[in-house]
Amino acid sequence: MKLPSITTMFAAMLSYAVLTPAAAEEIRTINIVTRPQAAQPAEFQFTQLIAQEWRKLGLDVNVQVMPWEQMIQEIWFSRDKWDTTAWQMVGRPERSDPDEIVFNLFHSTTAAKGFNFIGYNNPEYDALVEAQRVALDPAVRRDLIRQAQTLLAEDQPNMMLAHPQSTYAFNNAVWDAATIVDQSGIGIRNTWTYLEMEPLGDVTDIILNSSDNVTAINPLYISGGTDSWITELVYDRLMRIGADGLPQPWAAESYEWIDDTTITVTLREGMMWHDGMPVTPEDVVFSFEAAGSGEAPMYGPFVGSIADMSIDGMDITFSLTEPSAPFLTASLSKINLIPMHIWEPVIAEQLTLETNAESFQEPAPIGSGPYRFGSWTLNEEVVLEANAEHWAAPKAGRWILRIVPNVEAALGMLRSGEINFLSDFPGDPTVVVAAAEEDPNLTAVFTVDIGFRYVAFNHRRPPFNDTAFRRALSASVDRRLIVGAAFRGFAVPSNSVVSPALGFWHNEETVEGMEAGVELAQQMLADAGYEVVDGRLNYPEGVSETLGE
Amino acid sequence: MKAITVICARLLQTAFVLLAVITILFFMFRLMPGSPLAAYIDPNFTPEQQATLMARFGLDQPLWKQYLIYLRNLLQGDLGESFFYRQSVAERVLALLPNTLILTFTSLIVAYIFGVLAGAYLAWKRGSVVEQICLPLVLTTRAMPEFWLGMLLLAVFSFSLGWFPAGGTREPGAEYGSIWALYASADFWRHMALPVLTLAIYSQGLPLLLMRSNMMDVMREDFVTMARIKGLSTFSVVIRHAARNALLPVMTSFAIAVGYQIQGNVVVETVFSWPGLGRELVRAVQTADYPLAQGAFLMIAVVVILMNLVADLLYAALDPRVTRD
Amino acid sequence: MFSRPKVSASSRLAKLRRALGAVRLPLHDPLAIIGLGIYAFFIVMAVFAPLIATHDPNEILFTSEFALAADLTPGTDGYILGTTTLGRDIFSQIVWGARSALLIGLTAAFMVALIGSIVGIVAGYFGGWVDMVLMRLADVAFGIPFLPFVIVLAAFLEPSIWNVVIAMALVLWRDTGRVIRSQTLTLRNRVYVEAARVSGSSDFKIILRHIAPNVLPLSFLYGSIAIGWAILTEASISFLGFGDPDSISWGYMLQDAFASQALSKGSYYWFVPPGFLIILIVSAGFFITRGYEQILFPKLDR
Repeated sequence: MKLPSITTMFAAMLSYAVLTPAAAEEIRTINIVTRPQAAQPAEFQFTQLIAQEWRKLGLDVNVQVMPWEQMIQEIWFSRDKWDTTAWQMVGRPERSDPDEIVFNLFHSTTAAKGFNFIGYNNPEYDALVEAQRVALDPAVRRDLIRQAQTLLAEDQPNMMLAHPQSTYAFNNAVWDAATIVDQSGIGIRNTWTYLEMEPLGDVTDIILNSSDNVTAINPLYISGGTDSWITELVYDRLMRIGADGLPQPWAAESYEWIDDTTITVTLREGMMWHDGMPVTPEDVVFSFEAAGSGEAPMYGPFVGSIADMSIDGMDITFSLTEPSAPFLTASLSKINLIPMHIWEPVIAEQLTLETNAESFQEPAPIGSGPYRFGSWTLNEEVVLEANAEHWAAPKAGRWILRIVPNVEAALGMLRSGEINFLSDFPGDPTVVVAAAEEDPNLTAVFTVDIGFRYVAFNHRRPPFNDTAFRRALSASVDRRLIVGAAFRGFAVPSNSVVSPALGFWHNEETVEGMEAGVELAQQMLADAGYEVVDGRLNYPEGVSETLGE
Repeated sequence: MKAITVICARLLQTAFVLLAVITILFFMFRLMPGSPLAAYIDPNFTPEQQATLMARFGLDQPLWKQYLIYLRNLLQGDLGESFFYRQSVAERVLALLPNTLILTFTSLIVAYIFGVLAGAYLAWKRGSVVEQICLPLVLTTRAMPEFWLGMLLLAVFSFSLGWFPAGGTREPGAEYGSIWALYASADFWRHMALPVLTLAIYSQGLPLLLMRSNMMDVMREDFVTMARIKGLSTFSVVIRHAARNALLPVMTSFAIAVGYQIQGNVVVETVFSWPGLGRELVRAVQTADYPLAQGAFLMIAVVVILMNLVADLLYAALDPRVTRD
Repeated sequence: MFSRPKVSASSRLAKLRRALGAVRLPLHDPLAIIGLGIYAFFIVMAVFAPLIATHDPNEILFTSEFALAADLTPGTDGYILGTTTLGRDIFSQIVWGARSALLIGLTAAFMVALIGSIVGIVAGYFGGWVDMVLMRLADVAFGIPFLPFVIVLAAFLEPSIWNVVIAMALVLWRDTGRVIRSQTLTLRNRVYVEAARVSGSSDFKIILRHIAPNVLPLSFLYGSIAIGWAILTEASISFLGFGDPDSISWGYMLQDAFASQALSKGSYYWFVPPGFLIILIVSAGFFITRGYEQILFPKLDR
């Protein structure tokens, strides 16, 4: 905790007394928050660069560095205490449907406690995203989402920066490069790759890495990114997000919309749990009920739109509370199918306890997926074995995940053959490029991510509630500077929350013709009435600073 | 002083220290700024769910009550449940402890064997050029950041030369019937070589200098001169008389060295992706997983305190002139 | 301004000599002199950092409009030791790093020496229950694993270079305390001390005139090793990601280097100099203590 020294306090009191009221129009010192360089080098870098450019506009900018846990406390839980902050949205297969992002980030109902922590409130926008949610015709929906992006580009509620490129690599002497699947917005690290990659020689084990421990292998607990790689392989879902980003039937053989709020899904025949028991429609219904039982709080929201379920033979019919365009992605592609004979007693027990299903860890998780659980050595590795009985049985033999917190070691292991698939690389992409150039056995793949980085403005604190001010600040930084100096070229400029990786939904007009520059920004500020006095930017006439530090 | 009185006194002292450390640990974590639930950034957690979680982890009770509950649980071997892993901390910590201990002990044994031999040799070569070069060199090994040394060894012996693997305790996918089968395998020793080397290079300075100093003291003593006058070869004098007397204090320092060594594990385990307690502590602190961080820290402290006790008892046993304070 | 009594140059010199003599700098040993020389070198580097450094260590440098001056090898474009992956001058960071190193090192050393000496003297001189309480405190300090403690503290307080100092002040006075207590016990029983007590000198005066000057060399020597401990600890903390993000230190540079794949890139000019300087400054502390070998390893002098 830093306390101001006696001298600074005295100086502050003195300056407050001495300065004339005219100086109260001066915009206060603006804070911009970032995570430390150690954790997020790109974010740390672009924050410094942005602060540098804003200072040229006459603002006094202070870069505040804090670790993630503290950031959550100061920003997420204290929504009126910060000015601007660096932030990111992580790309996940489920986010291939833009609903989650365009709705949760900006709709007025999520401003108090949800993802709209910036406090954006625009009724016109609300109407657009509410409409897209119930627009079942893709063309109509697409148009609405494009309009939403245009509106955001005009309003600049956030300063969108870039969609980073993810870095992955694999050993092409071990794996047939033609069978590696590059999923749009996700990269080659995806379930399809693990199912389709074919070994060229004796080595049939996929050996990949993660820098973080595996927390849990629990189909009812969203416990971390790495953990989800495993649950996606051990468990099936009714639908899956395909390599093109669109949901396709998986455990469901087919589906049919009966009407706006009713959908019937036909379960595939012959599916078996890894312990030999058959997968039944009752298991499917149970899986959705378990998610909504309250014992799996993280999955609750994904089944919130389901009013009722009924079974007829191999058909399961879902009755929804209201039409939901993203239902296939948000719900059917998300809920893991779990065996009733194992989980029913667990849920029943958890209902009586203070804990919930997240605390239950099966010693050997049983799913129905294309890989079955093999072994789990604490903090070291997880081994999955190919499930030959699965209809989409993998070509590989085993899937072995090694925990390697040291990023240099991970690269070293790829080079030496200790791992043959680099699936987690938070380091410098230029090194992977160099490694692939030196060694013809290595292939590096860079994919534009669904996720993005941005600087959030706090609309609860002036002058960030002024659209013109936000637009000027956003325009002052050329995104090419960010891409070049913070991401080493491994990113694409962004002016929309819908990534170009989502080709169908992305509105390219928001990025094309985006003009930027300090002179442009200065002009925009002047036009809006902001003046530079003695090197410091002042509010327009009639407005004064209400939030002094 | 009767041996039994000394032992009892030392045991009591150890219990007191243990209690003090446990208490310090408890208050340190509880008084941390920021809510432990800050890491749960799920917007779908309603205030009611958050309240339930707080109650479950006992975070809504007054501090002194939490402390008493904590002590009671500790006596029952319950270290609480990890915020993230949702599993028993005690189980997790005990599962990881052997990996850390084997690294610590192996590296210390290597360091001490080398240190004792090299220390004796340097004492023998008193005043020579060899000593003048080696002594500062030994001092610099104690001045190296262990992670820096580890990374360099990794780069040279693993990345460049390919002699050793870059991390972990075994080959990917290798299966062993039991932990003893693992420890006995060549695979394991190959994986342990570099981390052990890193830790040993850093620790060998202590036994080396200690041995050298003791040897020099002993060699000056009269009975050594007497033995020489009697005509015994210098070599036999050194080995049979000097070395034996010089060795005993070195062995005492081994016990204490375990306590110092174990903190080196914290960085070395990260560099070499070694699944031990040190790495777990770092991760737990980073994620604000209080119970786990507390449990990991406690386990390490227990090892340190126990080894201090062993050292105390050894010293008391070896030195008949031990003064009681 | 105000008049000062004229003090002759020779008596001032004599006072200086006496002060230095009390500390008893080990000026007879060549290794110790090297150690002192190394310290002097770093002090100069730290004090004159703004003059020696070629750039602002935090400044993001560019080669052309949007091209970052990243990973440049030494000598390119006037960057003496090249640049980091985020476009900062390595040489300037090294030079400014001396400031954090000395700042942390000297402060921590001072705290360790001060607290250890006070505890040791008080415990040794007064004995009785004061001694018992203080030695029990020392036992507890011995039971706390140091680096894990600093890590937890760094998470507990905001990441800052002072965490290492605070942790050392709380825990690492233990060795110093025990040894100085032993020394004090021996001194207390000396004849001239007994004589002073009998003649009615106050305890404080006795400590100041007889005990402290004899104990000072030990304090100084433990202090000089503590500088090394502080710098090594700070480096480890930074490596693990708990370092102070607002200050450039050699440990921070190493963390940056390894996280940016300096090893894979072969950027030895980045990860060798900070490590080498750490070794140099920590070794200096050990060299200085060469004249007093018994301090280097903790004998259980109780």
